[in-house]
Amino acid sequence: MNLKKILKISGIILGSIILIIVALACWSYYMYVYSLVPEGEKFEHSADYIDPEKALLNDGFKVCNEQHIFQYYNPERATYSEGKNGLRKFVLSNYKNNNYIDSGYLNIRFVINCEGEAGRYIIHENNLDLEPQNFDKDLVNQLFEITTQLKKWNPNFVRDEYRDSYMYISYRIENGEITEILP
Amino acid sequence: MEKSLKFYLSLSLALLLFSCNDNDKESSLVYLEYSESFYQGTKENLNLLSKSIELDSENVDSWRELSIPFLKRGIPHLWKKNMDKSIEIDPKEWQAWRGYNYLWFYRDYKKAIADFDEADNLDANFIAQAQGHSVDYWRGIAYLGLKDYKNSNYYFDKLIEKETEETGEDWVEVTAFLFNGIAHYENNNDSLALHNIDKLLKYTNNNYADGNYYKALILEKNGNVKDAIELTNLAIENYKEGYYNYRGYVETLRQIYMEDLLLLKERLTKKQ
Repeated sequence: MNLKKILKISGIILGSIILIIVALACWSYYMYVYSLVPEGEKFEHSADYIDPEKALLNDGFKVCNEQHIFQYYNPERATYSEGKNGLRKFVLSNYKNNNYIDSGYLNIRFVINCEGEAGRYIIHENNLDLEPQNFDKDLVNQLFEITTQLKKWNPNFVRDEYRDSYMYISYRIENGEITEILP
Repeated sequence: MEKSLKFYLSLSLALLLFSCNDNDKESSLVYLEYSESFYQGTKENLNLLSKSIELDSENVDSWRELSIPFLKRGIPHLWKKNMDKSIEIDPKEWQAWRGYNYLWFYRDYKKAIADFDEADNLDANFIAQAQGHSVDYWRGIAYLGLKDYKNSNYYFDKLIEKETEETGEDWVEVTAFLFNGIAHYENNNDSLALHNIDKLLKYTNNNYADGNYYKALILEKNGNVKDAIELTNLAIENYKEGYYNYRGYVETLRQIYMEDLLLLKERLTKKQ
């Protein structure tokens, strides 16, 4: 066996050992950090979690991977099929201010599954100071109905696959008028 | 003797408490650091941040970190509660940031301006910053949102003048020229609008859809349809190549879309 071959084999062995040590170190670090996560946790779920049992229009709605639902912005946006202008146009042309006097943010969060369908809705109602408040029931029902009519979405695309993602629409309302639609 | 004993016992207790307090502060920072090992907003991330705060309720970075997942996910009251705590602890660092959040995530221009003004007043020798820009830049945008063009132009001019003086015009954030130009355009001040849009195009080698779009609109107003069409075509190419103004999490102010460009092209073509 010549010297070149010996060096090559030694290099491969050494490289593999280093790789294994690095992997072990990373794994140990991760396990250590994981062990620090407090027990009797304050947060039982991730910030975005929508409980399927409590969500609206969840019956018959399927996600592709319950364990990994991405965020709408990450990395390629989940978007409405008609674009933001299309979304705005649809909402504003269908919404009617029935003499509401409410102001605040009506946020509707939901999931867009990997097939571009929307479901599993939850509503957050806040005043303009971002404190929880209740809007006029009719206003909430109307905007919820309009939002659920936004049927076709472009799903998030991550690592060569279409994925599920959390989405929200925030309606800024001033004296019953929609002044902003976010994000 | 008894007095001395009491004194030493009290001193020992105070030192013990002080050292525990110091240890808690250090542990709090460690928990904050570990929280970053998990994706923002995951259960683990939130619980480590929560533990960090439990150990040191003055750990401002942990409060702020705990606010952000709720900001990005459309849960306003949970963002606000934690963000407000950050400002309570360290207004110099976070007041301008809350303004930035109000501006983009809530389009609450008045609250944003109030925070930018307050942040600016905290240190007379320093212009407050958030997300890499001074509050003058953010105020310019917030006043544009309010359609208060005079104030919008005031802050953009102030920013551009200062940065030109200190580092040179080519270092000015190009969207400052864009938004300044838009404010002038919407205020029917076409020559100043064009002046700013031309600066934007100069520093982007004419490859910026918003710049070519607004320049086309100004030319259209002046009856120069032929050149306006040419610029609109260029804007369409720029847009396809991704050279346009947008933001990561939310729509930017006066965001243009491909359909806006196509509509302008259609309108101009009919005028030809």
